[in-house]
Amino acid sequence: MARRAAALALVTALGCTQGAADEPTPTPTPTPSQDAGGAVTADVPVLRPRTVQEIPGHESIAQDTAPKEAPRLVPVEALMRSYMTLFGGLSPLQLQTRLRGSGGNLFDTWNDYLSALGVPDYAADIPRNEQTNALMLAAFERIGVALCDRAVESDLAAMPPTQKVVFRFDLPANRAVTDAEFATRFDVLHRLFFGYPASLAPPERLPRFRQLLRDAAARRATQPANAPGFNATRASWAVVCYAFVRHPEFHLY
Amino acid sequence: MRYRYAAGVLALMMSAGVAPQVADAVPTREAYRFFRSLSIDLQGRMPTPEEVAAFERPDFNLDAWIDQRLTGPRYAERLRRIYMDRMRLEVGSNFGFVSNPIVLRRVRVRDPNNNLVDVYYRRSQRRNRAETDADFCLTQAESGIRVANNGTIDGTATPVAADVWGARTVALRPWWLYRDYRNTNPSQRVAPNANSDAVEFEPVAALMNEPDGRTPTVSVRVCREEAQTAPTGRVYLSGRTTNPPRGTPLPGNRFNNPPLDSAYARAHPTDMVSCTAGTGVSMSDQCGCGPGLERCMPGASLGNDPPAFVLPNNMPLGPDVPLDNVAQAQSEWARFWWSQEAVRFLDDLFGNDRDVREVLTGRQTMVNGPLSQFYRTMAGSTCCGNGTNFDYVEPVSLFEPAQVPADLVPQDTNTWRRVADRGPNAAGVLTMPIFLAKYGTRRARAHIVYQAFLCREFVAENVELTPSEEPNLMVRSGCATCHTTLEPLSSYFTRVTESGWTFLPAQRFPAENTACARRGTSISGICGSFYDPQFANSTRGLLRGAYGSVANADAGPAGLARAVTAMPEFSQCVASNFAESFLGRALGPEDSALVTDLTTALRNGNYRSRALVRALLRADAYRNANNLGSDTWRQGAMP
Amino acid sequence: MSDIRNERRTFLKVLGAATAAGVSSQPLFSALADPPVAPDEFFVFIHASGGWDVTVGLDPRNEARGIIDPASTQWVDTAVLRNWRDATLDADYETFEILQPRGTNLRFGPAVGNLLNIADRVTVINGLAMNTVSHPDGTFFVSTGRHLAGGRPAGASIDTVMANESGRAQLFPSVSVSYPSAYVGNELDPRSAPLKMASIDSVSRVLTRANVNTQAADRNAVTMMLTQEARDLLARSYHPEVIEQFVLQYESLPRMVREDFLGLFQTAGLQTAQPNFNYRARFQSRGAVNAAFAVEAMKRNVVRCVSFSMGSLDTHGANYRTQPLVQQELFDVVAQLVASLDAAPHPTLRNERLSAHTHILVVSDFCRTPQINMTGGRDHYPNGSALVISPKFRGGFSFGSSDPDQLLPRVAGRFADGMRAVAPPDVLATFVNAFGVNPRKYLRDGDVVRELLRA
Repeated sequence: MARRAAALALVTALGCTQGAADEPTPTPTPTPSQDAGGAVTADVPVLRPRTVQEIPGHESIAQDTAPKEAPRLVPVEALMRSYMTLFGGLSPLQLQTRLRGSGGNLFDTWNDYLSALGVPDYAADIPRNEQTNALMLAAFERIGVALCDRAVESDLAAMPPTQKVVFRFDLPANRAVTDAEFATRFDVLHRLFFGYPASLAPPERLPRFRQLLRDAAARRATQPANAPGFNATRASWAVVCYAFVRHPEFHLY
Repeated sequence: MRYRYAAGVLALMMSAGVAPQVADAVPTREAYRFFRSLSIDLQGRMPTPEEVAAFERPDFNLDAWIDQRLTGPRYAERLRRIYMDRMRLEVGSNFGFVSNPIVLRRVRVRDPNNNLVDVYYRRSQRRNRAETDADFCLTQAESGIRVANNGTIDGTATPVAADVWGARTVALRPWWLYRDYRNTNPSQRVAPNANSDAVEFEPVAALMNEPDGRTPTVSVRVCREEAQTAPTGRVYLSGRTTNPPRGTPLPGNRFNNPPLDSAYARAHPTDMVSCTAGTGVSMSDQCGCGPGLERCMPGASLGNDPPAFVLPNNMPLGPDVPLDNVAQAQSEWARFWWSQEAVRFLDDLFGNDRDVREVLTGRQTMVNGPLSQFYRTMAGSTCCGNGTNFDYVEPVSLFEPAQVPADLVPQDTNTWRRVADRGPNAAGVLTMPIFLAKYGTRRARAHIVYQAFLCREFVAENVELTPSEEPNLMVRSGCATCHTTLEPLSSYFTRVTESGWTFLPAQRFPAENTACARRGTSISGICGSFYDPQFANSTRGLLRGAYGSVANADAGPAGLARAVTAMPEFSQCVASNFAESFLGRALGPEDSALVTDLTTALRNGNYRSRALVRALLRADAYRNANNLGSDTWRQGAMP
Repeated sequence: MSDIRNERRTFLKVLGAATAAGVSSQPLFSALADPPVAPDEFFVFIHASGGWDVTVGLDPRNEARGIIDPASTQWVDTAVLRNWRDATLDADYETFEILQPRGTNLRFGPAVGNLLNIADRVTVINGLAMNTVSHPDGTFFVSTGRHLAGGRPAGASIDTVMANESGRAQLFPSVSVSYPSAYVGNELDPRSAPLKMASIDSVSRVLTRANVNTQAADRNAVTMMLTQEARDLLARSYHPEVIEQFVLQYESLPRMVREDFLGLFQTAGLQTAQPNFNYRARFQSRGAVNAAFAVEAMKRNVVRCVSFSMGSLDTHGANYRTQPLVQQELFDVVAQLVASLDAAPHPTLRNERLSAHTHILVVSDFCRTPQINMTGGRDHYPNGSALVISPKFRGGFSFGSSDPDQLLPRVAGRFADGMRAVAPPDVLATFVNAFGVNPRKYLRDGDVVRELLRA
């Protein structure tokens, strides 16, 4: 608890510092008398702690007293079902087949990731892992890349948006999306993965995702035209998808 | 709640088939995240965009939405997980249910035409020939081989003479190949559904095909005694009462001595015994494996636990969508379905909003085909051992076979039926095989009940254990700290054998038995299996485990269930378990008001979990979860 | 909005900007942590799962005395035990001769396997007061020094502690293969959260990356962006611990998924690299793989702690016949681990062997009853033993004891709370203290037992 106490003290101190200019000058502490030898002899005034409301200008303060709860990790069963639902409504084995595709080592089997995802093993008395660790995040990435790549392959082909699973929008042909076009499409994905509109997200989120998209396209631009893998459009939207499916807000609730 | 959207967003959503209503107010981020939390907890997944759009509509009724989802498989799974995480009701291969009376092994021999044929047999099968009694039905002279109990084969198979072949073996159509195995001429051969992801009835390939590995097996060859179908058989006396001197050649050059006539058999030479009890199988040469060999488990080799059925190793999302299907050892069939019984029982209890106390007190259960087979024909195979010394040969079951649906066949893996009443000895999960196997000792069983249903721990920190002759752990220095409570609780399981489910009825095994009183310095040898010499006195012996409380011993697991569910801590513990699970953290002193409210909701709701969950979802603690500093979010901004 | 709330909001924005700009590469809370100790030391923690019978291993008994039924040819398979020497028990059966390695005060039973050959490096603590016979409780008691509270661990496990103290900079600070690891407490850096896995092989597939459609640069760009996102959430969060874990774990991800580490997590490669382990052992073949992984991972300096379980010890019934063999295989793994560490150069200290800087602790849930039960096995018993192989501990030395008639822990000395038997918290406190860590930082209980440590 010591670290948090120290941090809170730090926060409080800085917070007080920010508002210091508005506070009235405090009553100065009397200078203690000293004897010939230099030792302090006068009585040290006793400081009585004041309540916040006694500080001039702070008579009426709204206090955020609502109890707070720490975010929870989405249970692995709900996470797996969400993967199935968000990426096409297939069963686990059907989705596994689709993700493995015809090669490329994009995906192994669900069994290979269960331990890293924290699935309990009741027979072996291995409990559910309700905290993240680096290996779990590595599993989120491995799975997320496979899911997003397959979604890009299917959705970014020419088909009506209503038939698309993840990228439920059209993309302009032969050019990159404008900022405004990206924003509307970003909102569709934000609702899909996080369950709320992008307008309610932190303001820096949209520009970050947009930059991610632009940078991925720019990396492709430096490669030969016939380089293997996704083209600029597909790569950039795959990368955006990776960011959503690996985001803390996706895995916490 | 009514909302507005940017024009571009609206167009995109409509092109994707999602049509929100245009309205005035914008919900907060917390509202959206709360809805997401509800979806994760009640639907077992994140909400779809369509569901979010519905949430945004002005006519959306969140309370009704929640109520509609306080039912169904995902909701039940959510609550079931609370108790499965606590009790972990699965067992691995360390609990080997390899009971000789039910295990069929097979030996490859040569038929009269010199073809290799697998012949099934049971190691414990009684036969009226000393050469083959409780052994393979063909001698080395007849088949060229002899079979050791450890699965090794000695010799080389030679064609069996036709008359011997017909006398010793018979062909039949067994339950693992034919759904209609009870018919005179079974014809509905099992064909696993290759297109189904769900757990199906699927014997391993070696059981389905001939030794060539390709030709589908139409019928199997089995030793004739095993093919007998009668439900009872007469006690068989071989006349053997002692083993021959070491070194004496054994009949038929067999490896082990043939079995001796037991004291019970000699005392009851004309009695009929049940062929579903292990004791019956061990005493009668007329007890076979029943119609279609339904009382016995097939195995594709001579091994101790041969491969038998294909089952999943991993199914975190349930048996409808397993992640794999692998050939498993024979004993896994029972273990797998035992665990599924507990899962279905809990799902039924929570999904149908039954009284949560029935987790412990309920006499109902859910069974499918394999479980029906187990309870009707196999559960008694572990009875009765030395119980015959107390004239206990017909098991009194925790689940009365007569209550088991008779029409379900083992192939009905996906047909689940509720049995309303297992019988007077049943008590929720406490008398299910999975619980009794997982928690093999009386104390382990009592401990998990104490922990999972009263939310208490036995903690004896820094207690000195000094050597002592005192057998009573409730008074022994150091041990008493925990055992004062643990022993009386453990006593409730006195009448259920440890590491098993054999029930010891009071009329055969009185808790205080004068016949097992101390004579001289100890009790009689036959009493020692069931009565504890350390607690015997000159007037009576005491059933093992009963010293903590004779009354509890007689009350049995059902008595424990009544006692625990009557304690105020039970409902508090239910409330705490639910709260911890939904809040995703351990509770602290600051949560006492929440627990009180939830406990009240549970009691006022007649112990229905739905009332508790409803109260929990409406509690501030649940709504405030994932509170990422909401006051700092930008409100209502448009892109 | 109030002045104070505005001020806090301003502060948080400033803090968020500062961290995003990389003013401090350490998150707020970790920046306040102590610097790592013992940065060149490695740790292996082994849990003998199920409760071992100490009467055939570390605390041998070959006399029928009191309530003790010694192991004999009646109850156990002896032909497979290399160190079994017959000693007469009674007219029908033989028991074993106790092994007393010269120059030590150790007494071993026949199940100790090749541990006998390195007795001078072994420290045994007997007579551990377990005060429990519950598997989960005993398991976490020996790894955390606390009994379970409400079914949950009440403290950090020893592997988490040592990873926190000395392993934060490692790529894999703590690798936990079915070990009772617990990440509990306020003094913990999220990087020391144990990487829990069911088997070593499963890790390689999790860490594999296919550059089929996108490249590492794409994925790393995402990771960097997500790290920024997480830092923003961290700044806004009332409960930052969970988000802080994300931040630190994102930061370690690009290093983890490099191809040159994948071979570490493949059984075939480990068997080739460390051929001297017995991978065909009947019970402990997986333990052999895990031990081989420990050696290879330490050689590459990518781990600090490797912890794993070796089981099949819960022998209540006829399976007790194989209990000594299970232990023999377990101790053979430990002995081979030491031998492999002897042969391995230290990754950072010149002219040093890994064995001079690796510290092994082996414990079990509890021990087994001195009496044989109705089914020929032994049940649970609230006594225990621990094994330490560490250059910091006195080799060839046994501390603590159990009484000769009932195998219960005996008073081992005067502790802070009086005369009592030694207990798991004391072992853990002594262990962490050997590396200069104040035990009270992590352990509520337990005294440092100086006699166990080298001068």
